[in-house]
Amino acid sequence: MTVSEVLIQGPDDPEISPEPRTGDVAGRSPMRIAMDRLLSDKVAMICAGIVLLFVLIAVFAPLLCKLFGVEVRAGDPVTDTDSFNYPVIGPPNYGFTWEAPLGLEPNSGNDLLAEWFYGARTSLLVATIATVVSTVVGVVLGLIAGYSRGWGDRVITFVIDLFLTLPFLLVAIAISPMLVERWRENPTMLDNASLIALIVILSIFGWMGLARLIRGEVISLREREFIEAAYVLGMPTHRILFKELLPNLVAPIVVSFSLSLPATIAAEATLAYLGVGVTGRPSWGQTILRAQSWFDEYPLYLYAPIVGIVVLVFALNLLGDAIRDAFDPKSFR
Amino acid sequence: MQLKRTVIAASAIAALTLTAACGGGGGGGEDPAGEFKAGGGAGAGKDATAEGPLEIPSDAKKGGTITVLSNNAPHTLDPTRTYYVDSGAIMSGLVTRSLTQYVYDQKSGDSVLVPDLATDLGQVSEDGLTWTFELKDGIKYEDGTEATAEDVVYGIKRSFAIDTLTDGPTYQTTFFKDGQKYKGPFADTDAELKKLPDYDPSAGWYGGEDYDGVEADGNKVIIHLAQPFPELDYYASFPVFSPIPKAKDKDPLAYESHPMATGPYKFESYKPGASLKLVKNDQWDPDTDPGRFQAADAFDFKFAQDTAKLENQILGDKGAAQSMMTYDDVTPPTYKSIKESAPDNLVEGTSPCTYMYRPDQTKITEKKVREAISWAYPYQAAWKASGEIVGVTIEPGTSLLPPGTAGRVEYQYPKGQDGQTTDPEKAKALLKEAGAEGFELKWYYQRDDENSVAKKDQMVKGFEAAGFKATPVASTDETIRDDESNLDAPINLRYGGWCSDWPSGGSWFPAQWIGSNANKPGMPNPTNFKEADADAKQAEILKLDADEVPAAWGEFDKWMQETYMVEINAGYDANAFIKGSLVGGVVNDPVKGMPSFSIMYLK
Repeated sequence: MTVSEVLIQGPDDPEISPEPRTGDVAGRSPMRIAMDRLLSDKVAMICAGIVLLFVLIAVFAPLLCKLFGVEVRAGDPVTDTDSFNYPVIGPPNYGFTWEAPLGLEPNSGNDLLAEWFYGARTSLLVATIATVVSTVVGVVLGLIAGYSRGWGDRVITFVIDLFLTLPFLLVAIAISPMLVERWRENPTMLDNASLIALIVILSIFGWMGLARLIRGEVISLREREFIEAAYVLGMPTHRILFKELLPNLVAPIVVSFSLSLPATIAAEATLAYLGVGVTGRPSWGQTILRAQSWFDEYPLYLYAPIVGIVVLVFALNLLGDAIRDAFDPKSFR
Repeated sequence: MQLKRTVIAASAIAALTLTAACGGGGGGGEDPAGEFKAGGGAGAGKDATAEGPLEIPSDAKKGGTITVLSNNAPHTLDPTRTYYVDSGAIMSGLVTRSLTQYVYDQKSGDSVLVPDLATDLGQVSEDGLTWTFELKDGIKYEDGTEATAEDVVYGIKRSFAIDTLTDGPTYQTTFFKDGQKYKGPFADTDAELKKLPDYDPSAGWYGGEDYDGVEADGNKVIIHLAQPFPELDYYASFPVFSPIPKAKDKDPLAYESHPMATGPYKFESYKPGASLKLVKNDQWDPDTDPGRFQAADAFDFKFAQDTAKLENQILGDKGAAQSMMTYDDVTPPTYKSIKESAPDNLVEGTSPCTYMYRPDQTKITEKKVREAISWAYPYQAAWKASGEIVGVTIEPGTSLLPPGTAGRVEYQYPKGQDGQTTDPEKAKALLKEAGAEGFELKWYYQRDDENSVAKKDQMVKGFEAAGFKATPVASTDETIRDDESNLDAPINLRYGGWCSDWPSGGSWFPAQWIGSNANKPGMPNPTNFKEADADAKQAEILKLDADEVPAAWGEFDKWMQETYMVEINAGYDANAFIKGSLVGGVVNDPVKGMPSFSIMYLK
């Protein structure tokens, strides 16, 4: 390493461990250190528990519905609602009943607990897939852009800038009628298409930030000796990218993933509220849209999906912060 | 009149049995929706001798401003183009006087056709081809100049310019002399005529002032017809038949910014799409007007307001909100609160509109299949899922003509179908007889409208239970109108509604069910109904004497459904709107399906 490189990079980051050093100095990977820190963070663990609970609800939604004796989208307006279109059992006019723990939906008579369980399912399904896809795309493009000097880098940077200029909401709203036009005569296909389109939209608008981050990291890493050594030894480029560079990027990737997951959940609910999200399956955003005009008389209708979104997004955000702290040796709480 | 407002009005009709409609309620032993206001028939009556002035009720306080809020905004307030329920009620009720008008009769709860600018309801010649209206003396515009028969004639001529002044009623082009050829006073050169859409040099089009279909003779307006139009006296209540001074009409599209008032109120300011302020017109003479009075100082219309906000304001009934009202349909949550807290501030009534599911005759050719649909359609479930309050904003429907139409014949077809009975077994049996089990029904729904989606889900359930194959086809709020009126749409069941222009079948069957309109772009005949004997019957009815016509249409309604099962009646529209406690004289005008502004006052 030349003197100038030392000056630019500065001294190495001090290795700080939360635990005092003991006689046993067995080597621990940075990943292991981060996990240890995370496990000792109480807030993070509580949030992880909450997220796990939501994941279980999403995975076992049908079983939970059976357990509570409710059925999704099975309301009969004629028998389940009164002459004002209010539910005939449960809130707001009658007391709590186990037949419908969260009440029935006015107008349609659908059970709101089942709607809530399946709403969690839609939310987590869409958000998880979209975030995984956008992370993979962001990492791959960021690696390529950072490592390929010259035109490859310029092209990918240009594409990143291009996607950053596209207004997310506008594109999402514009795509909905195009889908309707394409699959209007096939309702099942249309429902599936709207789900896939939503995931695609959320994915293609979620990768740019991570790609920029990774590109910057790679640019600084590629000048390090171990990369140069690998290059000189004749290691193929893909091996350098995925075996040498990628393991050094785990921290930013995990942090980015954990912070974009809650943002995607919120975006999914927003789109559903605006009427351009998924159709044909329950979604918290849609429930909020329907519930708002009933709020004065039937607040629980609106509170249930809002609490769902707030708790899940809040827990994921705190967990994301904790993960970032755990991976970043310079920050303390 | 097409159902043009997106939010359509709502109400209750005494003639119908409503107990069944309220089924499913009453968990607490009470059925708060069980009592319904006795509504009247929609303007079937006429009174040619009615005279002004109209008495102001004793509890009226003179003065004050009535604020009217709405989520909608009128498309235009040009008298010639006034063909929407909201703009029609505002202009006819307060600003422009026409040859005839409706006045609400408190005793019968009904609207009666009475003279307005004319001394009577018009004199028709022996052959039915010439109508004469004599104008009253001393009618003045807001600026004090006299409103003459010439001005009424100019107003009628103006209504032929349907390409310049779009969206207005068009009966004059069908019934008046040279109606298809005369293009109004504006296109007075060949060059301008050529600019009009669908110009056809051989059709003999002409424009300009020189039109002899309408003429002024002293204080008389004489109308010459191409074919008898026995119900012209009803049509003469439209603002099309109001005087318009030619001198003020330099730019026809700008006239709506300040139409010259002949009624009790005049424009003070008008911001299209936002607000309209009306103030007293001191040139209006109550002695000449049997249908309006001038109790409040001003009317303040505020359009495009947020529904939840305006409902909360009026529901609160505090301070300025006490003199507020809305003509929008009440939403279910607000309906419940106001019914419990202040039932006097809820006004319910009928609206002259029928909703229909309309099988395409060219695609669903078997009559038995069409009957099966009427048994399979889940009436109650579909209404409730789409947020209608049964008995308040929608009523089960039987005859196509809504209650209150003159000469209406009440019938049930198929037998026993009272407009709300779903019987999958009967539908299955009919499908089996027709050999059409698993018949595929395709219809449009709005994918971005939660209510429409919920209704679609119920319809799929209902149709499948009755042995149909149900294929809902997605559309959107924005495109649904164009999709439904597309002749080549990939559907065989359309949804729509029709409202009376006047309370007789004459504004129904020749408009929507005439064979010459079938299979045309834009779907002027939404079922593509074309039967030679039906067309012949209609032509015969138009030739009858004026007093026989309404009953003949009533019979035609029954005959058409029983012979061809053309429409599935999805319910009559009804009105329910709310007001502040100080606003008096708020009644639902059953002819317009709107509050009658002409007799409104502050207590």
